[in-house]
Amino acid sequence: MKEDMVKLISAEGFEFVIDKKAAMVSQTIRNMLTSPGSFAETEHGEVTFPEISTTILEKICQYFYWSLQYASSMVRSWVCSPMIISSSFLEAIEWEGD
Amino acid sequence: MGGACSRKRDQLDNGDNLNGRVSRRFCKSGSSKWLGTSFTRASMDVIQGNRRCPSLMELCIYKIREDINKYSTLSMLPRDLSQQIFDDLVYSQCLTDSILENFRDCALQDLNFGEYPGCNDNWMDVISSQGSSLLSVDLSGSDVTDSGLFHLKHCKNLQALNLNYCDLISDHGLEQISGLSNLTTLCFRRNNVITAQGMSSLSGLVNLVKLDLERCPKIHGGLVHLNGLVKLESLNINCCSCIADADMKHLSGLSNLKSLQIAFSKVTDYGITYLKALHKLALLNMEGCPVTAACLESLSDLGALLYLNLSRCNNLTDDRIDKFSKLRSLKVLNLGFDDVSDAILTHLKDLTNLESLNLDSCRISDEGMVNLADSGLHRLKCLELSDTQVGSSGLCHLSGLANLESLNLSFTAVTDGGLKKLSGLSSLKSLNLDARQITDVGLAALTSLTGLSHLDLFGARITDSGTNYLRCMLRNQLCYLF
Repeated sequence: MKEDMVKLISAEGFEFVIDKKAAMVSQTIRNMLTSPGSFAETEHGEVTFPEISTTILEKICQYFYWSLQYASSMVRSWVCSPMIISSSFLEAIEWEGD
Repeated sequence: MGGACSRKRDQLDNGDNLNGRVSRRFCKSGSSKWLGTSFTRASMDVIQGNRRCPSLMELCIYKIREDINKYSTLSMLPRDLSQQIFDDLVYSQCLTDSILENFRDCALQDLNFGEYPGCNDNWMDVISSQGSSLLSVDLSGSDVTDSGLFHLKHCKNLQALNLNYCDLISDHGLEQISGLSNLTTLCFRRNNVITAQGMSSLSGLVNLVKLDLERCPKIHGGLVHLNGLVKLESLNINCCSCIADADMKHLSGLSNLKSLQIAFSKVTDYGITYLKALHKLALLNMEGCPVTAACLESLSDLGALLYLNLSRCNNLTDDRIDKFSKLRSLKVLNLGFDDVSDAILTHLKDLTNLESLNLDSCRISDEGMVNLADSGLHRLKCLELSDTQVGSSGLCHLSGLANLESLNLSFTAVTDGGLKKLSGLSSLKSLNLDARQITDVGLAALTSLTGLSHLDLFGARITDSGTNYLRCMLRNQLCYLF
């Protein structure tokens, strides 16, 4: 795993390799990756989300990059295709909302 | 983790609409807002260049709002999500009868409709379907009727109920809520029809901590029903013009009372004697009451008294104002528009806890100001001298007030020359010099006041060259009015 990239793994085992900076938009991931404790994630730069489906995790990764662009550019609108309210979606919302 | 675990409790209890949405229909009485102006106005927030990026949660909630017509129910969602969706629909004014149906049986905790147009009895069924989860509901300004309130019987755990400005509710409606014994907050402002009969329905609300009945003109004789509400800490009966001394008798046993507001009632010095034993009383608002300084005798043992409003008391004169000196715990005192003279300052100068003093339109002159020099008023932060006869020579006595943050000299006799005497008041944040005789010359003296964030020069004769001085004082948050 390259130093500035991290891997986010969905429930189905899909691996999303994204910039570490993007992943750190989430406070939860930031804590996992920067904590001085002994998270396995810190070593390998990999985080698994057994409750989050692939489609949702993809959307979340898109959000991370959009969020980074928000501050630096005039990009304001984000085309958000309709999200199905399923229990895994709710997990993602709950998780992302911190 | 978790989107919205904590429940926001701040919005409901306040009839003053501090949640930011201005009351559309109703102007608020000046009386119950006097505390807000007792201290320095907060400086404007620094406006950020970029808006905060919306969270993924917010984006999803907006999207759900757009697509709300696709859903028939949101009851499968965790409560904290459906709560956020509800709040967003109210805030964006998108809620309708049919959309509200989505929230049936959602076990929501807070339904803050707050003067939402269209809120009426038809909505009460969905509201009551929240059942024992419902903790607070705000139906202020709505068209809910007495029979609508019947539905609330299903919400046994209801803690806060706001029925301000509900014109269609009468004594019969209060009967419907008489069994909600978990209520801690009840707001029922401005209702012309409820009487002592309706008040009897409140006697079972034994957990009531806060009761707001401002502007209910027919409730006299009804306060007897409150004498069992021993947990009551806050009672607002401002502008209940019918309230008289006999009503005050029933408050004498409410030993937990911390805040009592009886502005513009008919209570006299005799009625105030019933308050002698209320040792926890911290706030007392007697604005516009026919009391004199004699009533202070009843208050002299109240060691917790911090806020006292005696403004617009037409019978308050210099007679017996020496009693003010006994109120040693006082932090905020309002004597605006009272017929008191310089003598008042001799009796206030040793009130070392005093932080805010309002003498608007009182007969104060430079002679009275002498009392402020070498006084005990070290903590004084806010001083209102608007419309008094204070002039430039009086200002030199202020130099010892090292903590003064807010000073109002509008419509006084202060001149440009006098403003030099303010130059040492480095703690000043807010200064009102709305007076026609102030000109550019006076502004030059103020350049040392680098802490100033608010300066009012509305009626003063300032020109462009005068604004040059202001540039020296300019910090991040300077705001000035012309």
